[in-house]
Amino acid sequence: MADQHSLHFSRDGIVFEPMPRAKGNHSTDTFMNTATKYTTPAFPTLLERASSPDCDPCDLAEDAMPAMICGDLTPPEETWVENHVAHCGYCARVLASFSECSSRLDSVIDAPSTRAVPPPAPAALLGLHEGRYGFMETPVGPVLIVVTDRGVAEISYLAHRSAQDAMREIEQRGILAHERQAAVGEVIDQLSQYFDGRLRVFHVPVDLYGISDFTKQVLAATNEVPYGVYRTYGQIATAIGRAGASRAVGNALGRNPVPVIVPCHRIIRSDGSMGWYTGGAGIKRTLLDIEGVSLGQQASSGQARLAL
Amino acid sequence: MQYSTVEEQRSLNVSLDQPASSAARPDGEAISFSILVERYGDEIYRYSWHLARNQADADDLYQETLLKAFRAYTRLPADANHRAWLYKIASNTFISDLRKRGRDHRLTDTMEYQLADPTPDPVSGLDARDLLSDVELFVNGLPPKQRLALVMRKYQNLGYDQIASALDSSEAAARANVHEALRKLRSQFADRLEV
Repeated sequence: MADQHSLHFSRDGIVFEPMPRAKGNHSTDTFMNTATKYTTPAFPTLLERASSPDCDPCDLAEDAMPAMICGDLTPPEETWVENHVAHCGYCARVLASFSECSSRLDSVIDAPSTRAVPPPAPAALLGLHEGRYGFMETPVGPVLIVVTDRGVAEISYLAHRSAQDAMREIEQRGILAHERQAAVGEVIDQLSQYFDGRLRVFHVPVDLYGISDFTKQVLAATNEVPYGVYRTYGQIATAIGRAGASRAVGNALGRNPVPVIVPCHRIIRSDGSMGWYTGGAGIKRTLLDIEGVSLGQQASSGQARLAL
Repeated sequence: MQYSTVEEQRSLNVSLDQPASSAARPDGEAISFSILVERYGDEIYRYSWHLARNQADADDLYQETLLKAFRAYTRLPADANHRAWLYKIASNTFISDLRKRGRDHRLTDTMEYQLADPTPDPVSGLDARDLLSDVELFVNGLPPKQRLALVMRKYQNLGYDQIASALDSSEAAARANVHEALRKLRSQFADRLEV
C-alpha cells in the first residue's frame, strides 16, 4: 500500500494520478543507455570454432576470408586459414577470387574517374573571408598574425592562450585563414621596428571585417592617439560623442583585433591606473615603456596592483 | 626579428598544430576550423567524391559537410575524434540526401548495372574497363551502411573504431558491414574474374 501511495503526488491540495504505465514499456532504458548499447556478445573466436568437433573447416575458412583480405585477422588466425587453403583446392580458389575482387576495388580507387581534383577553397565554399596567418616572436611573447586582402585582420598574443583558441575567435569573425608565413612578413617587419623603438606610426591597412560598428568607432578614435601619449577611456567616449560610456569603450577596446597597431594600450583609467589589457597588464606596461610613457606615482601603484 | 622561412618559424616553437607550450593543455585542445580543414579537408573531399561520383555532387556534399562542421566545431569536446566526426557529418549528409532523392537515384544505378554487358570475354582483357565501372556501380548500389563502411575501409583507410563512430555503430557492426560488402562483391563478380 505504501508503494501505491508513493505514486501519487500532490500540489496545492490537488492529487495527481500518474498515467497508467503501458505494458511492455519497461525496456526503454536499454535503448537510452549508451554504455550498454553496443556491447558485443562474446562470439567464439575463429580458432575456438576451428577446434570444435562439428566444425566444417571449409565453411569457417570462407567465412573468414573477407576479414583476411582486409587484414582483420590475428596472425594465428591467418596461419590457420593459410594452412587450410594449402590443402583445399576449392578454398584456395575462393580466396584467390576474394583477393581478385579486392584488387579490382583498388583499381577503381586508382581509376581516373575517381581521382579527385583538389578540394575547392573552404573559405569560398562557406562564404567566409579568406586570410593567411603566420607567427612572430616579440618581447611580449609569441603572437599570431592574420592578414586578408584588405589588411591586417588580427594580432593575437599567445603568451596566455593557445594559437587554436585565438584562431577560433578569428573564425567566429568570419575569417578563415591558412598558414602562409610569407604573407605576414610586412607586418612582422613593422612590428619589429616598433618593438625596437624605431617605428612610431604603422603603415599597414587594417581589416575590421566582422567587428561591430561601435567597436569600429572606438578603434578609430583610439587610432588618433599619438605615439607616447595616453588618454582615458572617458576621453575616448567623449571623442565619439558617447560621454559617460567609458565602460563600453573599455569593453570595445578589449575586442581590438589589432592591438599595438591600433594603440589601445594608450588608453588608461581616469584615476591614472592602467586598466585591463588583452593579453595581460604586463604587456600594456611593456608597450607604454617602449613609448616612454610615464603614468606617474599613482599609475605605478595602480599597475602593481593589477599585475600582481 | 623577422621569421620568413619555415625553419625559422619552427625555431619559434609555435604553430597551430603544436601550440606554444605555455598555453598547451594536457586534456587535449580545442581545435580551430582552419586546422580541421588543413588536416582532413582533402580526405573528406575524396570521400565525398567516392560517394557522390561526380564533381558537382561531390562539391555539394563537401560544402554541406563543411557548413555543418563550421556551425558545430566550437561545441566539440577537446578530446573528440575530429576525423571520425567529419566522416560522420559527411556520411549522414550523404545518406539523408540519398533519402531525399528517393528511389530514383538508386534505381538508375541498378539499371545501369543490369544493362552492363552480361557476357564479357574474360580472355581478351578488353572488358577490364567495363568490369571496373561495373564494380564501381555495384559498390554504389550497396545498402548505404555497407557502402559507406567499405569506402571508408578500402578507399579511405580508416580503422574500424573510426568507421564505427562515423556510422554510429559498434566496431563489430562496422567490420561486419565491410565483410558483407566484400562477400557480395565476390559472389557478383567471381564468374567474371580470372582466377
